[in-house]
Amino acid sequence: MNADELDSGILEAWSSGDGPRLAELYAAAGNSMLASGLEDKGCFFLTQAYIIALENGLEIAAPLHAELVRHGREE
Amino acid sequence: MLNPSSPTNLEAVTRPIETARGLPNAHYVSDAAFEEERIALLFRNWSGIGVASDVPEPGDVIPVELAGMPLLVVRDHDGEVRVFQNTCRHRGMMLVERQGNLRGTIRCPYHSWCYNLDGSLRATPHVGGPGRNIDSSVKREEFGLFSIRSAVWRDVIFVNVSGDAPEFSDYAAELMQRWGEHSQPLHHGGASSGFAFDVACNWKLAVENFCESYHLPWIHPGLNSYSRLEDHYHIEEPGHFAGQGTTVYRQIEGDRGEQLPDFAGLSGFWDRGAEYIALFPNVMLAAQRDHGFAVILLPQGPGRTIERNEIYYSFDPKERPDLKALIDRNARQWRSVLEEDIFVVEGMQKGRHGVRFDGGKFAPRMDGPTHTFHRWAAEQIEGSRQSRNGS
Repeated sequence: MNADELDSGILEAWSSGDGPRLAELYAAAGNSMLASGLEDKGCFFLTQAYIIALENGLEIAAPLHAELVRHGREE
Repeated sequence: MLNPSSPTNLEAVTRPIETARGLPNAHYVSDAAFEEERIALLFRNWSGIGVASDVPEPGDVIPVELAGMPLLVVRDHDGEVRVFQNTCRHRGMMLVERQGNLRGTIRCPYHSWCYNLDGSLRATPHVGGPGRNIDSSVKREEFGLFSIRSAVWRDVIFVNVSGDAPEFSDYAAELMQRWGEHSQPLHHGGASSGFAFDVACNWKLAVENFCESYHLPWIHPGLNSYSRLEDHYHIEEPGHFAGQGTTVYRQIEGDRGEQLPDFAGLSGFWDRGAEYIALFPNVMLAAQRDHGFAVILLPQGPGRTIERNEIYYSFDPKERPDLKALIDRNARQWRSVLEEDIFVVEGMQKGRHGVRFDGGKFAPRMDGPTHTFHRWAAEQIEGSRQSRNGS
């Protein structure tokens, strides 16, 4: 998924209120950035994913939290 | 008009009923008096804000207002009803605007600070910059939602905003004792058993009208055939509640003579007895052998009140579909009776714009419950003034 597809997917998920899809897309973006060595951008997107996961009670909130803690971005 | 530098004189309100006057006009029409009573009567005591039936499932939330104060009622994951100020600790944004069920945390729609259903602050995204969710000055344990003291009784959610009233079980102890036989599960009657009126009156007028039976033969002529004025008695517990009772309560019946099941184990008094009591400040309750109800007054301003009416039974209506028609009929009957009172309370509201009205003259034999409420209100207001003045 390229950046444009990611952007449009995120916008679509926001507008339809599809929390699980939104968290999934943000997490994918975050992990992609981290894999490219872009820690700040990666943690930004992982944070977005984490918050949406918390709001929706999604199980991926726990691993996202752990990843953010590992980067010193979450308590 | 009242202003803080010239408080109303309430001395005449607290006199014995024979020489007392009612609350001055300002306490019904003035913004300043409404603001004063908001604190003195509604926030410093235990006020009703809604019913636990509004949030039946864990994760259910409903925003409510008490005289303009935004509150959030939550059924947490342990099944407990909690009440918070519905305001984010970050920028003061209202957190929840609509009734619903939350699968996870409460997320502020502005910057997405997240709160657990116990009110604790769970997450502060980007608070230390993009992708950095920690800031040494933002100690999460210090910025949970403001919890509002709450209690649930007879399904009504009561709150004490000031946080320093006696425990609710003490506050309502006399009424709990009086209605001890009715201390048993209540089941909401369902959709038809909850209805609201938007009434153009000060909330206190609805309390006053509910308290007294003097008006029954004139405003509710349909009751005359079986529930006459002489069949009613006053209920007065100064400082706590006031109301009226009847000794000729008659159960509603269906077309085939069917009746609603009684609450269990009631004494003989309740065969024909029923009581209608205003627990100060803003909740009116009814206890009868086969159903009860709660009326919660939600003040919207000096001259406007939302009146919520909720009816309860001894049984779960979902398990007795055969009684649905009777439940609906009962709701229609109460709705009709309560609607009959609207023109009265709205008429009294209009009348209080007459600048020469002096609070009125109580009829000592008939207006005792009303005077009990007025005197309570006056004493609460005076107490609040003294507290404000540090004396």
